[in-house]
Amino acid sequence: MDSREEAIYNRSLAAMALVGFLSFLLLSAYRKPLDFLPFYGAIAFLTVVFVGYFFTGWILANSDKFLLLLSSFLAQLGLIMLCRINPELFKRQVIFFAIGVAFFILVSFFTKYLLRLELAPFFYWVATAALLILPLLFGVEKGGAKNWLVFDGFTFQPSELAKITFAFYLAGALKNGRITSLPRMATEILAVVGLLALSKDLGGAMLFYFTALIVIFVATSRADILAVGGGLSAILGVLGYYLFDHVKVRIEAWLNPWQDVPGRGYQIAQSLFAIAEGGYFGTGLGLGRPDFIPAVATDFIFSAFAEEFGFLGAAAVVLMYFLLVYRGIRIALRLQKNFDILLAVGHTVMFGMQIFTIIGGVIKLIPVTGVTLPFMSYGGSSMVMSFASLGVLNGLWQRALEDEDDDEA
Amino acid sequence: MTRLKRNVRLVFIMFCGLFLSLLGYLTYFQVYERQKLIESSYNRRLWEQEETVTRGTIYDAKGRVLAKTVEENGAKKRVYPEGEAFGPIIGYSNKKLGRANLEQALNGELLGISQQDPMMVLRQKVLGVSKGNDVYLTIDSELQNKAYQLFRGRRGALVALDPNTGAVLALVSSPGYDPDFIEQMWESLSKDENSPLLNRAVQGLYPPGSTFKIVTLAAALESIPDIESRTYETPGHVEVNGRVIRDYEGFRPGNYDIKRAFSLSSNSVFVKVGLEVGKERLIDKAIDFGFNDKISFELPVAASRFPRFSMIGDDVELAEASIGQGKILTTPFQMAVVASAVANGGRIIKPYIVQKVVTPLGEVKNFSNPSVLKEAIDVVTANKIREYMVDVVEHGTGRAAGIKGIKVAGKTGSAENPHGKPHAWFVGFAPADNPKIAVAVVVENAGSGGTNAAPIARDVIRYFLMNGK
Repeated sequence: MDSREEAIYNRSLAAMALVGFLSFLLLSAYRKPLDFLPFYGAIAFLTVVFVGYFFTGWILANSDKFLLLLSSFLAQLGLIMLCRINPELFKRQVIFFAIGVAFFILVSFFTKYLLRLELAPFFYWVATAALLILPLLFGVEKGGAKNWLVFDGFTFQPSELAKITFAFYLAGALKNGRITSLPRMATEILAVVGLLALSKDLGGAMLFYFTALIVIFVATSRADILAVGGGLSAILGVLGYYLFDHVKVRIEAWLNPWQDVPGRGYQIAQSLFAIAEGGYFGTGLGLGRPDFIPAVATDFIFSAFAEEFGFLGAAAVVLMYFLLVYRGIRIALRLQKNFDILLAVGHTVMFGMQIFTIIGGVIKLIPVTGVTLPFMSYGGSSMVMSFASLGVLNGLWQRALEDEDDDEA
Repeated sequence: MTRLKRNVRLVFIMFCGLFLSLLGYLTYFQVYERQKLIESSYNRRLWEQEETVTRGTIYDAKGRVLAKTVEENGAKKRVYPEGEAFGPIIGYSNKKLGRANLEQALNGELLGISQQDPMMVLRQKVLGVSKGNDVYLTIDSELQNKAYQLFRGRRGALVALDPNTGAVLALVSSPGYDPDFIEQMWESLSKDENSPLLNRAVQGLYPPGSTFKIVTLAAALESIPDIESRTYETPGHVEVNGRVIRDYEGFRPGNYDIKRAFSLSSNSVFVKVGLEVGKERLIDKAIDFGFNDKISFELPVAASRFPRFSMIGDDVELAEASIGQGKILTTPFQMAVVASAVANGGRIIKPYIVQKVVTPLGEVKNFSNPSVLKEAIDVVTANKIREYMVDVVEHGTGRAAGIKGIKVAGKTGSAENPHGKPHAWFVGFAPADNPKIAVAVVVENAGSGGTNAAPIARDVIRYFLMNGK
């Protein structure tokens, strides 16, 4: 590897370690009596980062290391907030992070070597549908959406894994650059979206729908499908507004949260108050009031972060997510085979849309839909599957580099 | 490049757009929405602040306490030592009734939550400061009390400004109320026919009557070149399209030049002048003086209304408008601004009531930088009007405002209205050659301005020039 490039990576890693140590030290000192939990947590976290980073470099030499660096930095910012909000969640999130990094390496490896066996797209569709039906049959409701499975006190959100299988399905079905049977494809996609809507996971339904639309456009260049799909989403939105009470509540809270602050506008209003309090520079770590924000550890963690780190911190986070999306696009552009390109695009779009949906939601640019902020929100499924998603991208990147080497040879 | 890759690039451009919109909206939010949300009554941070922070003290210009929070048996209580004259201006901060007037308008400062400087905020947080900011007003509480007493409970209002800086020296609305007893008195106060809860000085809208002739005069001096050498012959009334507008009783028919007509407040002459000036120029001049525009001020000021072009249908309405009757409505605050503009060589200076804010750590935020809003009239015209206004007090309808040894400039008004006797008006300033105070007084349904409003203005001016400064 280029030594200049390596120096940049190392400097990024050092900056991240510095931010982590300072923040966690501050949190240790802030708790009275002195609490070493944040400090130990930080050591555990940074150990995972360094081990993961060097291990990746060792067994997968051509990795896109920025994927791991950026996602770990974001996870670290999330952990800092979690440690401050609820130390119990923080401890578990550190473990989720470690599992996530392991998945990143594993999935990179699988994608690099085993992806040559391409399964039929129908198989991926069945897997996706099965993952979404399971919670409807056996699941429990959490935060208004019935999309959780529980085994022995261990909860799992299958829709997070479905994101990955769905991206595989789309890439497989569209790899020839055209749609074999439009009615069939439309039925399959709408069935998946319908299952998500049934479990009241509106954010998920939106994500899957738009991801499918964009990947279809990329594969076929058909603007007409994009237009019809866009129109259809508007119709579905209006229908949803009148048919489902929870959709109506969300949209009304978005249009005018101040009409009913104690009621339907409560969540979004508290989120906006927090961001307003932060101002440009933030109140400072530990000095905000995340306890006023509902669902602060999951969906609304960005608001709590914006309160304590201010506009500058929030903008930095948005930019870091943007860089991740940029890396995804960059990988897609280096690939040769249609399937690979569409797979990279599918994952990147799913990831990017999710970030836009939740950040846009908590700042009231668009209506709030309950999706997590990848890497920062508390939650094992989200953390592990987000890393797995990056693992796919990293595996594809290595294949791109290998193919280039083959071409040259 | 394959079509596939071109499409991937399009996707990237879409993401650039989406993420830019996130950053753009966050920026917009910081710039335009933020302050509103911080001070929103729904914001729980505010309630918390109310509980833990001791509300700051409000002082007058000389450091006398107007409102402060004291501990009484472990409970916080807001007290208002200065009594009735201050109710309509300071307002109240009460758990049950909420907040009003300056207590409401300055809430952010008094709780210390509208701090902009992040370092200051951080220092206070680290040092554990739990006190809001103290606010110093430009009001002179002795002058305020004195002026309030002069109304003897009659309905009316007085505004006194420092014409050089725009500082509000007194802002009286009568009858007032004592904010200390707001909770016990709420029932009777809110039902009282004299509406003591209304701040007449900034919210009361009255026809200005003859005090508006200052504006008509300004328009005439600027647009009719030989106006000062003309004389007008009048039989004591004038007929416009069949409507007869009369001069006041005791006005002698004869020949008058414009200065004398102003001094004696001749309606018949000013109707003629107004018709010659024309509605366009009269409207423009009224707007130059601040009519039809919200004055930005710590307390909400009702916008004074001068009829717009399309609303002055015929000469009768123009005739009425030129003597301050008909559809014109103004606040005492606006008329004080007019007087202070004349006093100040024609420039309108932004009025303000908060002199400075002092944080618990001793930082001082100064607000007393005079800022010129606009030029209503040029200096030459302003000086002529000043001379005319001095004549009003020395030889005309405003003699009751005269003070021995001090040159007072003024204009009386007796505004016809549907509620009974005319509203008595007086606007003016003193000393005419070096103005220190500009006042506007209105006493509702009291009769002639010369006999009922001018003496109040005189006493306030005299009191201020003897004791103030």
